[in-house]
Amino acid sequence: MTTTARRLGPRISEWLMFYVLSIMVALLLSAILVEATGGDWRPVMNALLDGSLRKPGRWGETLGTAAPMLLVALGTIVSGKAGLINIGQEGQLLVGAAFATYFSFLIGGPGPLNVVLLLIFGAIGGALWAGVAALLKFWRNVPEVLSTLLLVTVGGQLVAYGLSQSWILLAPLADRGNRNQVSEQLADNNRLPHLEIFGNQIPLAVVISIVLAVIVGLVLSRTVWGFRLRMLGRNPRAAQRSGVAQTTYGASALMISGAFAGLAGAAMLAGGGFAFGNYQLVPGFSANIGWAGLLVALVAREKALVAIPVAFIFAGLRTGSSFVGATGVESKITEVIQGFLVLALLIPPAVMFLRDRRRARAVATGTV
Amino acid sequence: MTPAFSDSSEVDSTVESAPAVEFRNITKRFGAVTACDGVDLSFQRGRIHGILGENGAGKSTLMNMLIGLVLPDEGSIRIDGAPQQIHSPLAAASLGIGMVHQHFSLVDALSVWENVALGEIGRLDPSAIRNRIGEIADQYGLVIEPDARVGELTAGLRQRVEIIKCLRRDPGIVIFDEPTSVLTPDESVQLFASLRQVVADEGRAVVLVSHKLDEVLHATDDISIMRQGKVVDRGLASEADARTLARGMVGRDVSLRSESAALGLLSLDQKALDLAPETPLGPPMLQIENVVVREIGGRVVLDGLSLELRSGEIVGVAGVEGNGQRELGDLLSSLVQLDSGSVVVDDEPVSVGRSGAMAKAGVGVIPEDRHDSGIVLDMTLAENLVLTDQSPVSNRGIIDQRALESRAQEMIEQFGIQCSGPNAPMWSLSGGNQQRVVLARELAQHPKVLVAAQPTRGLDVGAIEYMSDRLRAAAADGVAVLLISSELEEILDLSHRIVVMNSGRIVGGMNRSNVDLEELGLMMGGSTK
Repeated sequence: MTTTARRLGPRISEWLMFYVLSIMVALLLSAILVEATGGDWRPVMNALLDGSLRKPGRWGETLGTAAPMLLVALGTIVSGKAGLINIGQEGQLLVGAAFATYFSFLIGGPGPLNVVLLLIFGAIGGALWAGVAALLKFWRNVPEVLSTLLLVTVGGQLVAYGLSQSWILLAPLADRGNRNQVSEQLADNNRLPHLEIFGNQIPLAVVISIVLAVIVGLVLSRTVWGFRLRMLGRNPRAAQRSGVAQTTYGASALMISGAFAGLAGAAMLAGGGFAFGNYQLVPGFSANIGWAGLLVALVAREKALVAIPVAFIFAGLRTGSSFVGATGVESKITEVIQGFLVLALLIPPAVMFLRDRRRARAVATGTV
Repeated sequence: MTPAFSDSSEVDSTVESAPAVEFRNITKRFGAVTACDGVDLSFQRGRIHGILGENGAGKSTLMNMLIGLVLPDEGSIRIDGAPQQIHSPLAAASLGIGMVHQHFSLVDALSVWENVALGEIGRLDPSAIRNRIGEIADQYGLVIEPDARVGELTAGLRQRVEIIKCLRRDPGIVIFDEPTSVLTPDESVQLFASLRQVVADEGRAVVLVSHKLDEVLHATDDISIMRQGKVVDRGLASEADARTLARGMVGRDVSLRSESAALGLLSLDQKALDLAPETPLGPPMLQIENVVVREIGGRVVLDGLSLELRSGEIVGVAGVEGNGQRELGDLLSSLVQLDSGSVVVDDEPVSVGRSGAMAKAGVGVIPEDRHDSGIVLDMTLAENLVLTDQSPVSNRGIIDQRALESRAQEMIEQFGIQCSGPNAPMWSLSGGNQQRVVLARELAQHPKVLVAAQPTRGLDVGAIEYMSDRLRAAAADGVAVLLISSELEEILDLSHRIVVMNSGRIVGGMNRSNVDLEELGLMMGGSTK
């Protein structure tokens, strides 16, 4: 035990230092950029902090944004452990939200029950959409990294079609005024409740996602299923010999991954709020949360619990940036700054990953 | 312990110029393990220096420092008398140090000359490279077709490509790391002839790292023996003899049968002591009937193979590598689909290609390449011990971490696995210890049939004896043991019955007690009597 503690000690400080350094460089570059384009960097930094944490109600907003990102990341982690690269969460999320919308209005029913059903249908929608990729992979050997990505576009088109047809998703004329492509709004009692803490509105999705993160962490590390999934991801041939069928385990991992993205979509729909609109499905509803969740999983290096703070940081960047525009700095510059900060978060894990790989290879080829 | 050599100081006094490489008091630690412990060693130009030692003795670490993969914690390295810090393989290359690695780093899809050109900077000149390959081929007897696709070459020829890759840069110091572990006996003889050429012409220093006593004895000029990170003995090859070298390597007298076989000291016609199975032969445990397996490309790799194994016997499958031995191992690991034929284990037909079917039917496998299907490097030792069956350490689908660790602890002690503990990552174990993990796991399943494919490849002497004893003990317990090996000595040492594999089928067999080596060789070569 002492040896592991000793080994972890310098590792964590190493990590922290790396991140601090990397973020400082990103901030420095951002400041230079803002100054060079005729702005003033101090209000920009202040706006970032105001928007993500300091102003009243903002950290609740950040938490609310983090929840779906975390959900998407958890799904990415599950498929990643099985050695499958699902990068189609953006589409799975949207299809999940569409499923949730459709069935929620189809079934109706009493409020709380309908909310639960809505979340479940969201998960099913996402799982089915990822299931298409799973089917292609295990039936026809199509690489999932391609199929999941391409299905994002297909999903987007299908949902757009649904939103244009009143027998599918389009709201009745009376409810949408002169707008096209918009679904009916969820009734008040069909929305996810919010907890109010110190004036911050925190959607229940935050609690759900954190609980799920703990569950995913435990399932992967402590159950036979998680064990076998990791075996499949790390050595498919050893898994095949040991009775872990790639088709069943791989397909379920991919579908669970999609289910998490779909759940995120449903939670965004039913959670509403500043970031995710008005409890109704519209074009562009997924708002890049699928891509952001993918990055969260990458930065968290496939560790479910680490994904919690990482999701919060990414959400903070998003909510913070929304305030930067008010400083008069051009929106393009804001986007570049956001890009710098995301890179600052991505570089340390990438460098460490490469270094570990190199070290492991040196050990494996050469030593005791 | 008496030294293997009469007078070791003599070597140094006969050489006046600075040695090509000189290690001074080199120490390297990995965590709690000291891989090299105050090593002093020097290599002279114009000579072949053999470094002999068991796996984990520190040979590879020492060489990795020379080629810039590992930095020493203490001590200094001098190249031609000048102290050098070798930070990277590039730095090593600029000092004229080249290495032919045990594991090939070739691109199968590319041709020979393209592989040789890899890593080249600047404009590519195919004809110049082809010419250079031709020159090297002539000079050292390393004949090869520059336009052949590497993926289609035999192991011996691939190694030749590696050697040409290394020699093309004209290094002054060349290291060969366990070069014969992939070669047939014939190819090894050819390799050593080339090695001699490499040294003779331009006064290169050649280092041969090996755990095979016999080849070091015959192919080198100077020998250093390493054990537990230290150089324990050194001297001239001409003055050394096998028994004392073996004692230096292992740290005790080597008298056991399998050890001697492993060192090549067992003469082939020597009658083994216990040729008959220790227990009377039981019922058939494994029946392979007319099995045909095709590769994805359509090539037939197992072509009507039939084989029967009875409880309590060890059957050795002899043959030149690449005649379907690997596929036979895969077949018994549920890694291939049958085209036709059947496999029956203990009177129950097995649906071969279904994942886990063979393991479930009671077929334990020590695979030819443990990294391929035997272990998961990125999981812990404890986890690797339950890959095939998690039921002893789980309850209703939940893994009991404490049970997992205590079970691992038990096996670590029982099988003498050297590691930092049950939660050590598998990649941190040495090859021999990884192999023990595989053995421990497979035996713990109480298999009906145990397949051991090249079970001692790359293992040190002590580990080989251990593995052989375990296989004999398993057979004595009534397990049907199938030993697939390209080392005839190993097969003669262990088997009760020998069958020969050629072109994907069993072409003949004989009992160990009346073995006819000449006929065996003919069958291996593919000619039926």
